[in-house]
Amino acid sequence: MPAAYPLPTDLSPTTVANTASLLRIIALALISSAAIASRLFAVINFESIIHEFDPWFNYRATRVLASKGFYEFWNWFDPTAWYPLGRVVGGTIYPGLMATSGVIYNILHALNLPVDIRNICVLLAPGFSAFTAWATYMFTKEMKDESAGLLAAAFIGIVPGYISRSVAGSYDNEAIAIFLLMFTFFAWIKALKQGSAFWGTIAAVFYFYMVAAWGGYAFITNMIPLHVLVLMLMGRFTSRLYVAYSSWYAIGTLASMQVPFVGFQPVRTSEHMAALGVFGLLQIVAFGQLVRAHVSSKQFQGLLFAAVVFTGAIGFFGIVGLTYKGWIAPWTGRFYSLWDTGYAKKYIPIIASVSEHQPTAWPSFFMDLHFLIFLFPAGVVMCFRTLRDEHIFVIIYAVVASYFAGVMVRLMLTLTPVVCVSAAVALSSLMDAYLDPTEPEVEDEKKESSTPASVVAKSSTSTTTPATPATGKKSKKSKDKETSAPAGGVLGELVSNVASSAVAANSAAPTQKGIFGLDTRVVVLLNTIGMLLFFVVHCTWVTSNAYSSPSVVLSSTNSDGSQHIIDDFREAYYWLRQNTAEDAVVMSWWDYGYQIAGMADRPTLVDNNTWNNTHIATVGKAMSSPEEIAYPILRKHDVSYVLVIFGGLIGYSGDDINKFLWMVRIAQGVWPDEIQEPNYFNRGEYRVDSEASPAMRDCLMYKMSYYRFAELFGSQQAVDRVRGQQVPAQGPTLDYLDEAFTSENWIVRIYEVKKDDVLGRDLKIANAFDQGKKRKRTKPTSRRKAISA
Amino acid sequence: MIRRWRTLPLLLVGALAPTFSLASLPFENTAIVRSIELGGSLVHVSTTYAVKALQPGQTTYQIMLSKAERAKTSWFDVKVKGQTVPLEVAELGEDESSIGHLLSVSLPKELAVNGTLNLVLETVQTHATHPYPERATQKEPQLLKYEADLFITSPYATLVQRTKVRSSSPNVVSYTTPHDVDSFVKDGSVTKSGATITYGPYYNIQMDAVFIAKYQQPISVHYNFDHAVLEVKTLRRTAEISHWGSNLNIEDDIYLRNAGPTLKGHFSRLEHQSQSYFRKFSSHILSDLTLHLPPGVTNAYYYDQNGNVSTSHLRKTPSVAKGSKASQYSVLELKPRYPVLGGWNYSYTIGFDTPLEDSVSYDANNGIYNIGIPVMTLIPGAVVDDAEVKIILPEGATNVEFISPFPELSSTMSTHITYLDTTGRPAVILAYKDLTDKHTGMIYVSYQVPFSAHLKKPLSVSAAFFSVFAFAFMARRVDLRLHKK
Repeated sequence: MPAAYPLPTDLSPTTVANTASLLRIIALALISSAAIASRLFAVINFESIIHEFDPWFNYRATRVLASKGFYEFWNWFDPTAWYPLGRVVGGTIYPGLMATSGVIYNILHALNLPVDIRNICVLLAPGFSAFTAWATYMFTKEMKDESAGLLAAAFIGIVPGYISRSVAGSYDNEAIAIFLLMFTFFAWIKALKQGSAFWGTIAAVFYFYMVAAWGGYAFITNMIPLHVLVLMLMGRFTSRLYVAYSSWYAIGTLASMQVPFVGFQPVRTSEHMAALGVFGLLQIVAFGQLVRAHVSSKQFQGLLFAAVVFTGAIGFFGIVGLTYKGWIAPWTGRFYSLWDTGYAKKYIPIIASVSEHQPTAWPSFFMDLHFLIFLFPAGVVMCFRTLRDEHIFVIIYAVVASYFAGVMVRLMLTLTPVVCVSAAVALSSLMDAYLDPTEPEVEDEKKESSTPASVVAKSSTSTTTPATPATGKKSKKSKDKETSAPAGGVLGELVSNVASSAVAANSAAPTQKGIFGLDTRVVVLLNTIGMLLFFVVHCTWVTSNAYSSPSVVLSSTNSDGSQHIIDDFREAYYWLRQNTAEDAVVMSWWDYGYQIAGMADRPTLVDNNTWNNTHIATVGKAMSSPEEIAYPILRKHDVSYVLVIFGGLIGYSGDDINKFLWMVRIAQGVWPDEIQEPNYFNRGEYRVDSEASPAMRDCLMYKMSYYRFAELFGSQQAVDRVRGQQVPAQGPTLDYLDEAFTSENWIVRIYEVKKDDVLGRDLKIANAFDQGKKRKRTKPTSRRKAISA
Repeated sequence: MIRRWRTLPLLLVGALAPTFSLASLPFENTAIVRSIELGGSLVHVSTTYAVKALQPGQTTYQIMLSKAERAKTSWFDVKVKGQTVPLEVAELGEDESSIGHLLSVSLPKELAVNGTLNLVLETVQTHATHPYPERATQKEPQLLKYEADLFITSPYATLVQRTKVRSSSPNVVSYTTPHDVDSFVKDGSVTKSGATITYGPYYNIQMDAVFIAKYQQPISVHYNFDHAVLEVKTLRRTAEISHWGSNLNIEDDIYLRNAGPTLKGHFSRLEHQSQSYFRKFSSHILSDLTLHLPPGVTNAYYYDQNGNVSTSHLRKTPSVAKGSKASQYSVLELKPRYPVLGGWNYSYTIGFDTPLEDSVSYDANNGIYNIGIPVMTLIPGAVVDDAEVKIILPEGATNVEFISPFPELSSTMSTHITYLDTTGRPAVILAYKDLTDKHTGMIYVSYQVPFSAHLKKPLSVSAAFFSVFAFAFMARRVDLRLHKK
């Protein structure tokens, strides 16, 4: 057997196996540390701080859990959220994340390691990303082999699509959910392969953990039944499938119903019906198989088939009927928006207003996945070539997740694992083909080419290859090798167009495929290594530049290149916390609700848990109405302070004026007679300068944003740096509100709602009187109007 | 006004009490000069008594403070004029006629008849001023009012006494002109020149209950004060000694308040920024603090409940060996998250590490470590209402003894458990009240640490790791499968 390069032959198989095992452990440890390290950019560039919006709520809830214990947390009613409604926190959250942190916190404290709960929360996501890498390794190992597993682990460890949701400080449900997703899938594949009720139960337990941790558990709830259904339709029903699915479904569903927020949803909502239906179908098919095993009459089989179809139809129409009668809740709006991207914008503007619910722009596929996105289809094709049960799973997963990732930016996250797995399978097949030192035998191709002996010999030589270790250890593994070897040849053919003509000559003998010479291998492998290196560079760059900003703290660069921290949010929130009454209600747009609750510790009207559209629309209405109309709304809701975000001075584009149209739209959804979106445009243009429409100029949001802004520029023309428009020198005036605090760069502006005038006058008149203006005759009528409004 | 009503019952009680017997007084004051330095939270008062003994063999001299004055006074010491060593002072409490509070000073040497001595009583008064008017807008100046008694109390007869009140700026809004004092006055009862207001000289004062009821009267000075009136509501200092790390970590939890006039209306950033643009700061707005940390500071941190505060600068100086005098301090410039206006609060935490060898000394003969921990880092011009200093000693420290530079309110021992401790570390907790710029100094703690205590942590950690590995070692070799292959 000719070889492209010599391999040592005097090694015992045990030594090779042990060395390979050690190398794998070391590689996994290095991958884990790389995964953790690359997520620490945020901590190093800024500090150990909770990021963005939702994490602030999770952090606050975790602090309650850590300081008051689990039962207090479970029964926690938060009167400060959604003032005056309050929020039953224990029953409206997925507690898995907080429980995880709480458990870690308690374990560390029991070991006398008094780590601050904030640091646990900040570092939870990086920690779990190491677990995710391991779970992906295990999953991919089931697909191909250990080397593909290691590649997949390395990919998922640093791929930006996953890092975007799991940097240090991004303390959100996704932080642990991706690990749970991958591990549940791994356990499912394991259960399916072995027909093991034990692995089915493990899958169910991790499914339960997933249900407790993330609303995206519905993805698993539908993926596994879909897989089972496809397997059944392909005629691949086996008792292993029956055992695996039944144990997973029965235990998983019962367990998931223990989460209060989920409750009876697994039997009452349409999203979960697929799992139930497949479970029923599986029982019918299993029963049919049982009967067929005992009865041989062809006629009876026909009857049985009819019975199966009949029962299936009854089950299906039963579910439809129950849905129609209202016993089973129909699809929710969020679900519809997955199928019709225009749906949310039309009917639920509050969902559409979230930027991460927008359809994905295609460059972001490259941004988030880099070269994996090219390898991904190749990997899926590889799966088709082998097509065992678990490969069907990957194919379904790939198709479904690709669709969802195209619909919503946020669902890029669920696509990422399967991309890593497929790409790893593809790349590792390529590497297998080119690292294998065996050269095809040209001379006596007629004799040996078609015998399986060459394949066996090949796999036995590859036992000594460190790059593809452990193959050939068991007979099952060598089967893997056998099936993947021709696949490598296919890619080898693809690459050979560039590399050499040796394979082209070889293609004359279709049964004997392989690569000649060292140069071919080196060229291809160097290319591969180059791609991998570029991938690492890209991931590091994207992570450090795009995904590691806490968004609570902004940073800019000074003229000398040093970092300048813009800390307006925390400045204003801290001011609220220290210098206002503890029960002072703060009104702001819902984006800032969790941050105010977390950092300023004050009651808020609305927050990021957008469960009550009317309440949010009320805030939207107050923001988009003139002062006279807004004031009674504010007073009715006991609002003491109104907080707006204004980026016009330093050019912070995520400010409230840019979000304002969503406020208008959401308010319009509830009060279509009073708030109309077109009123805020001037001939179709959204303007804030002197050409702004009257409704825009009178609304509370505009007034609060630009109050005294022009005076800051003195005699120069005031410019809004976000919108690039010139603001009129005569700024808006406020009668019912009073500026209470403005942060250093004017990003956060807080206004106090004035109390009623002591003399019972309308505040506008009182203000005019204070400024020495003459009272106009027409005022009293407007005053009565304002009070009755 | 309120103060006056509060003292009224006292005056009545004083009037009913028996008067002093004039005959047997051992001293007479040939002159008393009191000078009051007006400030914000702190008012420094220095009183010089020119004492003449009337009876032979006098070793103790009594100083009398009125009860209100004693309540305000949070620090005092008495020295012979021109000398630096303070004299021993015992507090006697109220005198029999409850006119005031008596301090008994042990004189350095016996005074013969007609022997004279000049004694200087220095006090620091806290919470002695109050903003008036109580609310002011952002642009208005900060006006404070200080009240005191007109006559300096003393159990002895005084030939002549005088009170000087000095304000930091000549901008004094008003001051009280005393009444009914013609019988003691030769020139004028009060004069003002520049920033100094002088009451007196008043001649031939004989303090007794009748005199107090008749002539003693409050004087008040209404003045402009150009610095922020700072009040530290609570200060919690934690000093943690680590022998393994050779490190002394000091962390202060501070709840700061601007006790100046409460902001009327609202804070306008525009005005604040234009003030800073034109360099016309309203000086009573606290926008930064300068603290002096010990030399050799490392790892300084400054954060609050919302995380790190990125607006601070630390200018480090190299550490100096213990015992030698530090010529420089590390200077920490703190900027609160927001400018602290009148009536606003700001709480924060600062901490830093210093090399342990700069503050600890070891006596090899008896194995005793001596460490000095500063009571607090001085915030210029601020009064500390409540302070708690917790000194955490190394794990296993025994024979703990401590000396406070001035009497503490309470002291307790407790156990503090931190990273990988097994039995916990002994901690000394000292509580103080109303600390001023005079309350600097070191708390000295001495302790012994046996060598075995040093080994406690590495041994326990390695034992824990060993048991984990041993468990893994065994778990891999136990086969629990039912169906053996």
